[in-house]
Amino acid sequence: MLTRLARALTSPSVREGVRGVHRTAPAASDALFVHRDTAQNNPDTPFEFTAENKKRAEAIMSIYPDGHKKAAVIPLLDLAQRQVGNWLPITAMHTVAKMLDMPRMRVYEVATFYTMYMRNPVGKYHVQVCTTTPCWLRGSDQVMAVIKDKLGLIPGHTTPDGLFTLSEVECLGACVNAPMMQINDDYYEDLGDSDVSEILDSLAAGRTPKAGPRSGRFAAEPAGGLTTLTGPPPGPGFRVRDDL
Amino acid sequence: MASYFGIDKIFKALRIIRDHGGIRASLYQLYRVDDLKDGTLVGEDAMGNKYYENKQLTLGRNRWVIYNPSVGTDYDGSMVPAEWFGWLHHKTDQPPTKVAPTSYGWQSGHQMNVTGTADAYMPYSTTKPKVEAWTPPKAA
Amino acid sequence: MGHPGEGLLLGMGATRAQSSGPEKIEVFIDDQPVMVPPGTTVLQAAAEAGVEIPRFCYHERLSVAGNCRMCLVEVEKSVKPVAACAMPVMKGWRIKTDSDMTRKAREGVMEFLLINHPLDCPICDQGGECDLQDQSMAFGSDRSRFLDNKRAVEDKNIGPLVKTIMTRCIHCTRCVRFASEVAGVEDLGTTGRGSDMQIGTYVEKMLMSELSGNVIDLCPVGALTSKPYAFTARPWEIRRTDSVDVMDAVGSNIVVNHRTGEVLRILPRTNEEINEEWLSDKSRFACDGLKRQRLVYPMVKDSSGELRPCQWEDALLVAGRALAAAQGSVAAVAGGLADAESLVALKDLVNKLGGEATCTEEIFPEDGSGTDLRSSYLLNTTIAGVEEADLVLLVGTNPRFEAPLFNARLRKAWVHNELDVAVLGPNVNLTYEAEHIGEDPAIIEKLLSGTHPFSQRLKAARRPMVVVGSALLSRPDGGLLYARLQQLAHQLRAGCEGGAEWRVLNVLHRVASQVAALDLGYTPGVSKVRNAPPQVLYLLGADEGAITREDLPADCLVIYQGHHGDRGAEMADVVLPGAAYTEKMATYVNTEGRAQQAQAALVPPGMAREDWKIIRALSEVVGAQLPYDNLAEVRDRLTEVSPNLTRYGDVEEANYFAQASALAQLVKGKQEAAPIDVPQKVLEDFYMTNSVSRASPTMAKCIAAIKKEAANRHRDK
Repeated sequence: MLTRLARALTSPSVREGVRGVHRTAPAASDALFVHRDTAQNNPDTPFEFTAENKKRAEAIMSIYPDGHKKAAVIPLLDLAQRQVGNWLPITAMHTVAKMLDMPRMRVYEVATFYTMYMRNPVGKYHVQVCTTTPCWLRGSDQVMAVIKDKLGLIPGHTTPDGLFTLSEVECLGACVNAPMMQINDDYYEDLGDSDVSEILDSLAAGRTPKAGPRSGRFAAEPAGGLTTLTGPPPGPGFRVRDDL
Repeated sequence: MASYFGIDKIFKALRIIRDHGGIRASLYQLYRVDDLKDGTLVGEDAMGNKYYENKQLTLGRNRWVIYNPSVGTDYDGSMVPAEWFGWLHHKTDQPPTKVAPTSYGWQSGHQMNVTGTADAYMPYSTTKPKVEAWTPPKAA
Repeated sequence: MGHPGEGLLLGMGATRAQSSGPEKIEVFIDDQPVMVPPGTTVLQAAAEAGVEIPRFCYHERLSVAGNCRMCLVEVEKSVKPVAACAMPVMKGWRIKTDSDMTRKAREGVMEFLLINHPLDCPICDQGGECDLQDQSMAFGSDRSRFLDNKRAVEDKNIGPLVKTIMTRCIHCTRCVRFASEVAGVEDLGTTGRGSDMQIGTYVEKMLMSELSGNVIDLCPVGALTSKPYAFTARPWEIRRTDSVDVMDAVGSNIVVNHRTGEVLRILPRTNEEINEEWLSDKSRFACDGLKRQRLVYPMVKDSSGELRPCQWEDALLVAGRALAAAQGSVAAVAGGLADAESLVALKDLVNKLGGEATCTEEIFPEDGSGTDLRSSYLLNTTIAGVEEADLVLLVGTNPRFEAPLFNARLRKAWVHNELDVAVLGPNVNLTYEAEHIGEDPAIIEKLLSGTHPFSQRLKAARRPMVVVGSALLSRPDGGLLYARLQQLAHQLRAGCEGGAEWRVLNVLHRVASQVAALDLGYTPGVSKVRNAPPQVLYLLGADEGAITREDLPADCLVIYQGHHGDRGAEMADVVLPGAAYTEKMATYVNTEGRAQQAQAALVPPGMAREDWKIIRALSEVVGAQLPYDNLAEVRDRLTEVSPNLTRYGDVEEANYFAQASALAQLVKGKQEAAPIDVPQKVLEDFYMTNSVSRASPTMAKCIAAIKKEAANRHRDK
């Protein structure tokens, strides 16, 4: 009798109307999309393009025809971010807005849309670990765990010495070399067990480890050696009918 | 015999008129209370209202009050104080003149219903007026 | 298939005079054939056929965004549904607005929109007038498959007028487009991306615009609502009365929303000729001033010199006796909010008593043709006519604050029609780029003689406009400068493309009563009163302090009739409480010369009465009874004096520019050296300009907020 009741309760026809308790992780970014004044980032934060960068900015702006100067906003913001060192203070956005004669809000829109503009200070080395499916399948959890362990960081935070910032990011487009992480502009790919801690150690020591795959591959070629295009490329007349 | 022909009723009427102090006074009484009855005066309260009883009349009409003449026709049921109210409405047969009502320290004196008079309670509105009037500046 | 961008311009409703366009193409909306010009979007074609396609982000007067996807419809032979608002029609398209695919698409979009929209309709101010609510009922599903947490977005503080509840936002970006396209303040934008996207200002700052209230109407959900009106009433409880705004001389059409004897809010009413569907913040939010500082009972000064409330009989007797005893030494000054009915009644009364001086507070030069020719004091081109102009010269005016909706038209033409604007006067921010010629009044003479560099531009213009502001006209040498401008306009008229049809000369008035008063024969300016002070001065809502107690002899009796206790009532000996513009059937004539009717939404408060009735009653006490007993008879009298005053809704064309110009040549005078100035330069000056707005707490809050905003480090200076 009880078993019959249990079966009746768990049968699909009864469960259909029941709301599930299933939940996915909140799909929100850890970044804030409004500005908050902080000690390092406020409208009085000094920012000025260096003479060298000013020249570069002029060069960038000259690429675009008159009336379309606003198109230079992305490279100029990038230039500003590189000058400050990995992040973009609000005054830098203002400077760019003024240079391009566009409203500040339009610059804010661009700077908040693109995830590569860091609108808050980050460490000297911005460690971005890809945790999207291919990297995850290839062990990005392990990479993450090593970094957390070694630097005592959780994603979104910076070490007290201001050296490392850890971010968890979505696909960086290096799935063939998974797992991978990006540190500043460099991709470190095919990360093995010891690679992560080695890279971090040498960065902390002031050296720049060689970017690229750690598995010995040159680039994205098959891990087990080439399977096609193994011979030299055939010359002209290859597979052309003899009578021609 | 007289009662057979109903002549006693005329005598009775005449007696009532006489008791009320003449034709003029009786007509005023009729005008004032729409009634002219004979009865025994049971008592009078502090406000000068007189209470009568006539046990020969039917229940409900056998006890009545004639309000203080000074109020004229402007009388109200709430002028009857609590101690007479009980007797008047047959809650008790003992008028306060016979059995004085227990008086407690917390009792306040009788007050008639002031609705419609200048003493009536007027609730005031706690809502702001919809339109705020301009107050002229004080002359210097 | 065409590029979606082709239809963009059409969507914005710029109506420059079009030459005969290319051939129309035929499309079928639900099998119903319609002929439309090429480039028309599917949505517009459907509207042509009488089919309304649901939409959130699309708005006729804004650019096309195409991001809400609510307008998806099926097009035959198209695999996917298309966004009707952004897709131009092609010849022979068969559009199905009620097919299974369309309905499924709408239901899907609705479900997506409701994923992050809170279900707080019972506490939402938009409830009952919410597009999302309505369309969810009409096109949505009755259930959602979304089981996760909803998103929450922090609210922004963008000033004392617009309340934001950003969690409710569906990112239609109408407000962003309005702010940057119509209002010309680029403070709103979208930050973030994906599910983190939000509408806001990024940094905390106020939306500093004189048109900011319109984003409340534009918002299809309850994300942007009115702060002063918050939690006040539901739309179904409100009574609506169509009326006309009097806060400026534009005469915007409004709907007064009222209930239980008070005005709750004011909304714009579409009138393509005047305000389109926008409304300035002062017109929209100053209505709470109608509930404060009101004159609700007649008042007479007692022996101690203080105004004491009294009965109508007493007040009318005191006023009447004084008027009768004055023996014709009577003058009247009309303020900026007076309606044509009371103006004509007052003028008739004063004239009947033997007085001649009926003046307006606003000044208009009387040199040359003065106010005799109607064309010299009207915005002859009309407000909508701005869209045909190609060069506008603003002289001594800041239309942004004197007539925000006229300025919105200028901006619209500047954006879509490549209108050029030049400013002669202070270099104020007009929300669009304007060439600043200078502030020196001598430039006018140079422009006339053709020696100024700008003269070439003026001559080359095909349809130029010269807009003269009242600030210039009220200068001591205003008569001379205006005469020169009249000549200049006439000169330009000869060379322009429109010929006799195109009117160059325009006067932009500041107050709602001025044109009606001039039509009725009032004398502009109070110099007449000042030069010959009367024994009895009748102020009809004159609150701007054009005449003060010091200008009058001590024994002069001042009667003030009006609706607000302000400067006029303060100096009065007798106060007669009148009705505000929401409380009377009244005629107002806007700066174009367009007569419009205001309707009574409420009864005047307390003992206040309609204005012309007060004057009519007073005339009987004086013994000079006016010959009209009801509104129709007053309007008959208006028609008798100036027929255009009762031709409601029409602009009566005025002409005789040549004669005015000829008379202007005779004007001689000394030109002052003082630079041309305008009284309203910054937004702060905009909010309090008449007795209603001065009494409004909301307007006071706006000014306080702007003062506070001056210290905001995030504001782009």
